[in-house]
Amino acid sequence: MTRPEALVSFVRALRDAGIPVGPTVAGELMAAAELVGLADAHDVYHAFRALTVTSVEQVPTFNEVFVRFFGADDSHLVTVTSPAPPRTWSIHRGREEGAEGEGDEEAEDDAFVGASARERLATRDFATLTPEEVAEVRALIARMVWHPAFTWSRRRRPSRTGDRPDLRRTLRGSVGPEGDLLRVATSERRIRRRPLIFIADVSGSMERYAEMLLYFAHAARGRLGRLEAFVFSTRLTRITRPLQRRDPSAAIAEVAETVTDWSGGTQIGEAIRTFNVEWSRRVGRGSPIALIVSDGWDRGEPALLAAEMARLRRSVHRVVWLNPLAGRPGYAPETRGMRAALPYVDDFLPAANLTDLATLIELLESVPARRIA
Amino acid sequence: MAPRVAEVRSVEAVLEAFADRQYVADRSLGVAVYLALELGRPLFLEGEAGVGKTEVAKVLAAVLDSELIRLQCYEGLDVNHALYEWDYARQMLAIRIIEARGEGSHAQVGDIMSRDYLIPRPLLQAIEAAAEGARPVLLIDELDRADEEFEAYLLELLSDFQVTIPEIGTIAAKEPPVVIITSNRTREIHDALKRRCIYHWVDYPDFDREVEIITTKIPDMDERLARQIAAAMQTLRSLELFKPPGVAETLDWARALRVLGSRDLDASSVEDTLGVVLKYREDVERVLELGPDRVAGTE
Repeated sequence: MTRPEALVSFVRALRDAGIPVGPTVAGELMAAAELVGLADAHDVYHAFRALTVTSVEQVPTFNEVFVRFFGADDSHLVTVTSPAPPRTWSIHRGREEGAEGEGDEEAEDDAFVGASARERLATRDFATLTPEEVAEVRALIARMVWHPAFTWSRRRRPSRTGDRPDLRRTLRGSVGPEGDLLRVATSERRIRRRPLIFIADVSGSMERYAEMLLYFAHAARGRLGRLEAFVFSTRLTRITRPLQRRDPSAAIAEVAETVTDWSGGTQIGEAIRTFNVEWSRRVGRGSPIALIVSDGWDRGEPALLAAEMARLRRSVHRVVWLNPLAGRPGYAPETRGMRAALPYVDDFLPAANLTDLATLIELLESVPARRIA
Repeated sequence: MAPRVAEVRSVEAVLEAFADRQYVADRSLGVAVYLALELGRPLFLEGEAGVGKTEVAKVLAAVLDSELIRLQCYEGLDVNHALYEWDYARQMLAIRIIEARGEGSHAQVGDIMSRDYLIPRPLLQAIEAAAEGARPVLLIDELDRADEEFEAYLLELLSDFQVTIPEIGTIAAKEPPVVIITSNRTREIHDALKRRCIYHWVDYPDFDREVEIITTKIPDMDERLARQIAAAMQTLRSLELFKPPGVAETLDWARALRVLGSRDLDASSVEDTLGVVLKYREDVERVLELGPDRVAGTE
């Protein structure tokens, strides 16, 4: 069972299954098997798991591969009960046009988009764009130049005009030929970029807007602090990883593949609850800005949405709600969901066209470091 | 292998030694600890708050009869606080004295930049102890709270356990200290660091183990009440609460109930003491809504 060749192919199988193990791991497994002894399959299981897995989410995959290699007796496989495994979505193939046309679209991204187009498209509603215009708008989004507001880190760096003496540098500076204390060196807090948490509604009515905002998020990700992204209609899916791909079309195509119900009923309260319970503490460090994109058509309980929004607001620096309908003349936030959520929203903005995005950028560029309650 | 782990040369020995010190470990943790010791690799413990991660380091230090050196991580933690700092006040005083004696002209840098003027922080303490042949237990607690930059530094340190202080020289551990890293997962720790470690997810205990934990930790605990408490904890953890209670809360609860003289867990004793177990208002409300009877198991 622990012949080197068997272990090597076990390691290869782990890698194929998506567990990124290092090159030396086979040797380590060999050593571990000798240490714990082969008499006890349980111990071999635990030992192999401890050496290869680097997060609890990988345990089910590991179990599967382990059983395949070392026998079907899975009675000893310890099931890990917490946290709840991330929800998986079956693969949806309905949006393949995007994936197929990938090459062309890339070319379009690079197409020259002139000033006249910018003017023409500035106030065009995203939902009414023709496919050519979508490409133009995406190119424009990719080229927006802006700088998000920063905040202070607790780390410090040397500075001539800092607010705190830096004794290490002061002393070192004084150990010269003179040996006198010439100048007190100082340090200041480093600046850091505030993380952004993007939570977009991708239910039927929102699909096009969400997609354009995903492009916006993708284009901005290098400029922002950490970007965490989620989409929901009936359930919440984390899309941070697909969005990390460099090519925007490929990234969005992968997002589309991970998400099945691009057009189901909307459960905003439930989605925010999932975020609060499963993700907030894992991705919410560094007082982020939460950016919610939704038209507020919620099929769930308004009370639930209100409670979850309240909790979300307590755990982030600022809650920005982007509603594509908000810019329409005569719009008032009258849907039950929107009314329930609004008391916990710091900024309520439209997000239906490029001009609206410019407003959003203005906001992100000027978010103050301190929260004004 | 050196004789230092003579008393824990098998998984059984680890489990027994832990049990002797009132830590009820499951087999999986026993294997992970044993491997970390034998292979000389850091042990990475991840899990929800209050499941006994930090305790593992304390118990292990006791088992190995080693010094426990603890580095508590926090946002903004830097090398000055993790590794070493110069004792500036002393250095300045020394400069003054040298000047007052009129020795300024032949004073050397080494006069004020020597080991005497160094304040070792936990990482250097561990390396110095290990350089002298001891094998301390270095606990790097709640690494997820530190900044990512610090993690990168730690990765480097964990690979060779040596530090170079320009004015003094290089201090290298003869043998790596026993390292235990804990994380509450408020963010993901970089894979490169985790891969260097033995990974173990510290889960909530199952019913039997929780009963054992309560009766082990609180010696004069009534077995029946312990079973009721453990059952209630299983129920609470199944409720999708914002912060499911950990083992720390179980023990607090058991102690609270004992102080209050409860002989049985019932709706009213649950209601009176819920604040010991649940720390979020929403969670308390949710349980009250469902009815404390359901938690007490007296429904």
